[in-house]
Amino acid sequence: MQIEPIAGGRRLLLAGFGGLLVLMMVAGADALLVLRQVRASDAQVRDVYVRRSRALDQVRAGIYQSAIVMRDFLLASDPDIAAEQAVSAAGIRVRTDNALADGATALDKAEATPYRNLQAEVSVYWKLLDFITQMREKDTRHRSAEYLSNELVRRRTAMLELVDRIDQISTWQLHAGDEALDAAFQNLRLRLIVMLGVTLGVGLLLATFTIRRTLHLETELQKRYEEGVRARGELQDLSARLVSAQEEERRAISRELHDEVGQSLSALLMEAANAGNAAARVPGGSVDVRRHVESIKKLAEASVNVIRNMTLLLRPSMLDDFGLVPALEWQAREVSKRTGLRVHVTAEEASGELPDQLRTCIYRVVQEALHNCARHSQARTVRVTVRQAAHKILLSVEDDGHGFDARRVRGLGLVGMEERVTHLGGAFEVLSRPGAGTKVEVELPLAS
Amino acid sequence: MPIRILLADDHTVMRSGLRLLLERQPNLVVVGEAADGRQAVELAASEKPDVVVMDIAMPHLNGVEAARQIVNRAPHTAVVILSMHSDESYVIRSLKAGARAYLLKDSAESDLIAAIHAITEGKSFFSPLVRRLLKEDYMHQLAEMGAEDTYELLTNREREVLQLVAEGKSNKEVANLLNLSLYTVETHRTHILQKLNLHSVPELILYAVRKGIIS
Repeated sequence: MQIEPIAGGRRLLLAGFGGLLVLMMVAGADALLVLRQVRASDAQVRDVYVRRSRALDQVRAGIYQSAIVMRDFLLASDPDIAAEQAVSAAGIRVRTDNALADGATALDKAEATPYRNLQAEVSVYWKLLDFITQMREKDTRHRSAEYLSNELVRRRTAMLELVDRIDQISTWQLHAGDEALDAAFQNLRLRLIVMLGVTLGVGLLLATFTIRRTLHLETELQKRYEEGVRARGELQDLSARLVSAQEEERRAISRELHDEVGQSLSALLMEAANAGNAAARVPGGSVDVRRHVESIKKLAEASVNVIRNMTLLLRPSMLDDFGLVPALEWQAREVSKRTGLRVHVTAEEASGELPDQLRTCIYRVVQEALHNCARHSQARTVRVTVRQAAHKILLSVEDDGHGFDARRVRGLGLVGMEERVTHLGGAFEVLSRPGAGTKVEVELPLAS
Repeated sequence: MPIRILLADDHTVMRSGLRLLLERQPNLVVVGEAADGRQAVELAASEKPDVVVMDIAMPHLNGVEAARQIVNRAPHTAVVILSMHSDESYVIRSLKAGARAYLLKDSAESDLIAAIHAITEGKSFFSPLVRRLLKEDYMHQLAEMGAEDTYELLTNREREVLQLVAEGKSNKEVANLLNLSLYTVETHRTHILQKLNLHSVPELILYAVRKGIIS
């Protein structure tokens, strides 16, 4: 009835869950990416800081060392030692320049100017040192020493200040990097929260939708189930009514045939006999009349036999006149005579007092079961047992035939038997396996 | 002394036919007609007939129950059941209720007179068709069960006693006829019932009919 909306709803649900999944994957990927970027930039910042501060340390050390070497150079009396000091100074200068060049990479705007100043100062310093060296050769020692103490110390102090400043800026820079990192993390957190919120929202929406859908389907299912149960009940009721109507009809026809037609025929026979007797007393022409009367009697007798058989087949009168057991015994005898099947009936006399419905039900079940035995089972012996237990009647019909697969085969006869039994609140079971005979078991409750 | 007869059948045509048939006999007289079982019991009590000829299928009280009540009240009244049913369940129940003859309606006109005379002499009587059916059923059952014929187990004396009892003779009559003591006859009877696995005189009569010992 409602295929269309269900299909639409299914598409919507699929899209929703797919979207949710994509959303979660995007959020995860995004977070991973941001984390990697942050880590990389953090490492870079720290690397730059470390390199710069190492370079600055070297520069600082180079300045001090060069001053010491220069003083030793000036104080040296031996020219060899002085030359050695000059070579040493040159080495220091190369190392310091290298360090300075190394520290120049990845300079910040704030660092660039002081660094350039530092480079300028350092190059001036080197020039001063060159100048002092040259001076020493041609000038007096005294003058150069003075120059050293005046000019060089001042330059050195300025330079060291510059180095300190750059160092400070670098440290700030590092702090700034840390803050940027914090900010990035903050940003990431915010993004994660937003993503989580959105996912949660969509999820909730989906869940609500799904729950409503499920509840709706459940009610629908329950409704259909109840409808099914009701329909089944009605069907069973109908079939039970049909069965009882059929039974009633058979009983009525049987009675009618027996009581009315049968009795009338009997009376007819009687009258025919009387007519015959009367004709015998009339002299002359009576032979002809008596012959006709004889033929009337023969016809009536044949009809009486037909009716007797018909009424018994429709509904055996013993069932109503004497109860279940005589009817079952009659049925057994009839089946035996007709088919050669040996039928043993074991029934307690107490079951003769059964209510009509139960009596009829058991009789018909046995009739059908015997019919099945004779037709399908190729059995030689059948045992019919009726027992009375506390508040119930137990019936079993067991044959020694070739059996069948009771789980698969379910003929109309078996269904009819089961319906009769279940309508009276009883239990019906067929136990059979190929090669193992068949047993029909019925349990019917007795109204106390 | 004519034999006084009560007719019980719910069909008027049947009753009048029977009356016509019976009253043509010199020594039979119909003393009453009942249309149902209850009326039959009442008339039997007031008219005290020698024989009641009764149908089974009757309103209010069926013939079997009516027979039981009539025989209980007046043991000397003999009951002939006249029925459409030929099945042994009807025959055995009628016998158990105290009826001594069982006739099918379609053979009534030819057998009824003979039956009435038989039962007034204390014998039993069954329609030939009933006899034949009972015998056939019995033979069929015997063949089917493959059981031995229990009649072979009886001694000659027991067979004599069986026949006399089945014919409706009392123990005393049997004792007189065979020159035996009452005690011996009772012992024979017990043995017969045991050997044939029977439980009552009606069953014994049925057995005798089936075996063709009596007619």
